[in-house]
Amino acid sequence: MKKVLAFLLAGLMLLSLAACGGGGNSPTPTPNDNPEEKVLHMRMSKSLASTDWATTTNTSDMQITWVQLFEGLYGMDEARGGYYNLLAKDIQVSDDGLVYTITLVDATFQNGDPLTANDVVFSYNKAKEISRFNYVTSFINKVEAQDEKTVVMTLDYPYSAIAHTFWSIKIYSQREYEEVLAAGKEFGTEPHKAGTGPYYVEEYDVASGVKLAAYENYWKGAPEIKKVEYRVITEDSAAVIAYENGELDYFTGIPLSDWTNVEKAAGDNCSLAKGNNIRFLAINWQSPTNNNILGNENVRKAIFYAINKDDIVAASTGGYGQPAYEYMPADYVATSPNVKDGKFTTYDFNLEKAHQCLLDAGFTEEQIAAGIDVGTVLTYGAPTAEKGKAAVVIQGNLAAAGMKAEVEVAEAANVTPRMYAQDYDIAIFGDSGNYDYNNIRQQVHSESVGMYLVKYKDENSPFNWQRIEELVDLGVATSDVKTRYDLYTELWAIIMDTATILPLYHNPEAIAWSKNITIDVVNPTYYHITDFHWAN
Amino acid sequence: MYRYVLKRIAFLIPTILGVTLIIYAVMNITPGNPGLAVLGPGTPAVDVEAYNESIGYNDPFLIKYKNYVKKMVVDQDFGISYVTKQDAFKEIWPRYKVTLALSFMGVFLAALIGIPLGIKSAVNQYSLWDTIPSLVAFFMAAFPAFLLGLILLYIFCLWLNILPSYWQGDLKGLIMPALAISIPPAAQNFRFTKSSMLEAIRQDYVRTARAKGVPERQVIWKHVLKNALLPVVTQVGLSLGTLICGAVVAEKIFSVAGIGSLIVDRISFKDEPIIIAGTILISICFTLVMLLVDIIYAFIDPRIRAKYTRTKG
Repeated sequence: MKKVLAFLLAGLMLLSLAACGGGGNSPTPTPNDNPEEKVLHMRMSKSLASTDWATTTNTSDMQITWVQLFEGLYGMDEARGGYYNLLAKDIQVSDDGLVYTITLVDATFQNGDPLTANDVVFSYNKAKEISRFNYVTSFINKVEAQDEKTVVMTLDYPYSAIAHTFWSIKIYSQREYEEVLAAGKEFGTEPHKAGTGPYYVEEYDVASGVKLAAYENYWKGAPEIKKVEYRVITEDSAAVIAYENGELDYFTGIPLSDWTNVEKAAGDNCSLAKGNNIRFLAINWQSPTNNNILGNENVRKAIFYAINKDDIVAASTGGYGQPAYEYMPADYVATSPNVKDGKFTTYDFNLEKAHQCLLDAGFTEEQIAAGIDVGTVLTYGAPTAEKGKAAVVIQGNLAAAGMKAEVEVAEAANVTPRMYAQDYDIAIFGDSGNYDYNNIRQQVHSESVGMYLVKYKDENSPFNWQRIEELVDLGVATSDVKTRYDLYTELWAIIMDTATILPLYHNPEAIAWSKNITIDVVNPTYYHITDFHWAN
Repeated sequence: MYRYVLKRIAFLIPTILGVTLIIYAVMNITPGNPGLAVLGPGTPAVDVEAYNESIGYNDPFLIKYKNYVKKMVVDQDFGISYVTKQDAFKEIWPRYKVTLALSFMGVFLAALIGIPLGIKSAVNQYSLWDTIPSLVAFFMAAFPAFLLGLILLYIFCLWLNILPSYWQGDLKGLIMPALAISIPPAAQNFRFTKSSMLEAIRQDYVRTARAKGVPERQVIWKHVLKNALLPVVTQVGLSLGTLICGAVVAEKIFSVAGIGSLIVDRISFKDEPIIIAGTILISICFTLVMLLVDIIYAFIDPRIRAKYTRTKG
């Protein structure tokens, strides 16, 4: 009896081993000469939360939904900066800048339906209902279909940064979207063919990944790469090994600590581009810490002069990043103030100036020698990730200048609400992904919805917040590049004089690809699989 | 015996209720905001609050708990994930099976490696068969699973190129993660088996059997091993429970879509339906495993079986 039981139990265990197999239908990539059958293997660092572009909020999801599945009236030229016509063949703007008449291209959705003006109207009205897109839709009064291929968009006020709206709002197939809702489902939880993009979702498993298939009737021509498979590989080290093992064809977000190894494995098939992703330091001038010490302008300036950006770049990016001085890189954004013009303060690392600022603030040499408490440097992410490292370096920099600070690193979901509520002393955060300087609005305008970490507008504010907000509004009211440049240069000079926000460094975008493919244009973040080709 | 088993199964209910209560209490006091995590930074506070209101996040703790238990018991509804808007149970169940498979493989490997080595080491005490495995076990018992995982990746993927570096939905992809999580418990199994065997070997009945001329093989397998197995069975059962919870490290490194990595990922979103449902399933499994261990005990040890068997007069 006991022997029977022992065998039974052993058999059960073996059964469990057998039962877990058989579900996989994704063999290890093997060379396949038939281009129709070849699969492009990609990595996702986390599960795709939704196949709906409007509900995807992180970059790795947007790389799929915003670029491969859906398209907007404009595309974004990340490689050279700026935007270009995509679903909008032509756009005419009225003299007062309020009415946009948009002619659509002859495109079809992946479900075969032609792209019509009604789909555009539907998509924009849907976007206006989502508060997260307020910053790009709040100025839109109405969107109407003039005829099958013409859309008329009327604004409440002139808005020159509308290109970013045309890129951000993607176009759904109204029919497909409504059919999904009519079936009682949530759009985005299953594969669909509701976009005009070159790929549609063939299989979608939240746990393991997503498979895309090429849309053969894509309006720009059928993609060369017919099948794409994204697998979730959460651990960066494992992703590096997968790439070196030949299991990934295209690899973005490479950890900079592994860049040397990846570069060796990739040869010429890699790129380390200056990112549009910039890390900033913010100082909360209203913080009550140490009797509102951060309300003292000289203390804030001392903090800025004490920061050694080269140290931070070395620690946070392994030396691959670059110090930042501008809100957006001037080489990507034509209207961005340029540090080379010398029209704003940059607070270059200078311990003597930091020391002098502390003396000007009223502290004695003894107090400086003992260390002046300036509060806590707060940031989010893992303590060993780049922002965490930056915080520790800053702590060291401040100590060298006679200032004491603690470091606090926690989950973004916990930290970011505190930052937006000005519940911090000193904060490190990131801002990026936009090629119009008007994006600065979310950091400096009191009516913005975004990253208003420093409260410039306040009844006790020592800052010229009225002029700050006026310059933001003027900048977006004109489309003249030179005028916008001058306005934003004055704006940035005022911001820098407040010593409340300091650009720290550009986080580089590291990508590599296998010898299986060649790439026409390297876009650091929003790559286009249509730019990829199978190598011979 | 059946009454004992049924009683233990009935105990599952208060156990699960207890687990849900503790998890709810913990989720209630930890900081975080599902609305902001799901809708993204930049969403107006009023809309974040509206979202939280719609999912019942702001309800009082006891009301939330009562509603959840009611839906779970009456409708078998574990809720909808805040992140993916999909049915929580449907999202968890496939991943749960994967973690179970991985954990069972790990336990099987741990037993396969640890127990025979422990027996050999005890029978050949003070020899090389004892010294070398003991040293290795001492080292491996403390070796972190994540480091072991990375070393295995390097050896089997990069160097030998015989296994895939990430799980692709098949059994082959579970070999390395199972190996990574099985080594530390294998070391524990080895040490337990060895000490248990040594204790049994020194008993009088073993000396008697040898004195009566029973072959050594029979002495070890028939007399010593049977009595030494009891603590080992407990250890193996406990290690299964530990592996189910602790497989998350291997799941992360080898990109196995298991329940551990799912729960860890969703904690930052405060995705309560997923976290709570996942924890409940893990606790059910753990309890069932302990029950199985007790049942096996009863079959192995006639003294325990006799306690639960009615004597017929």
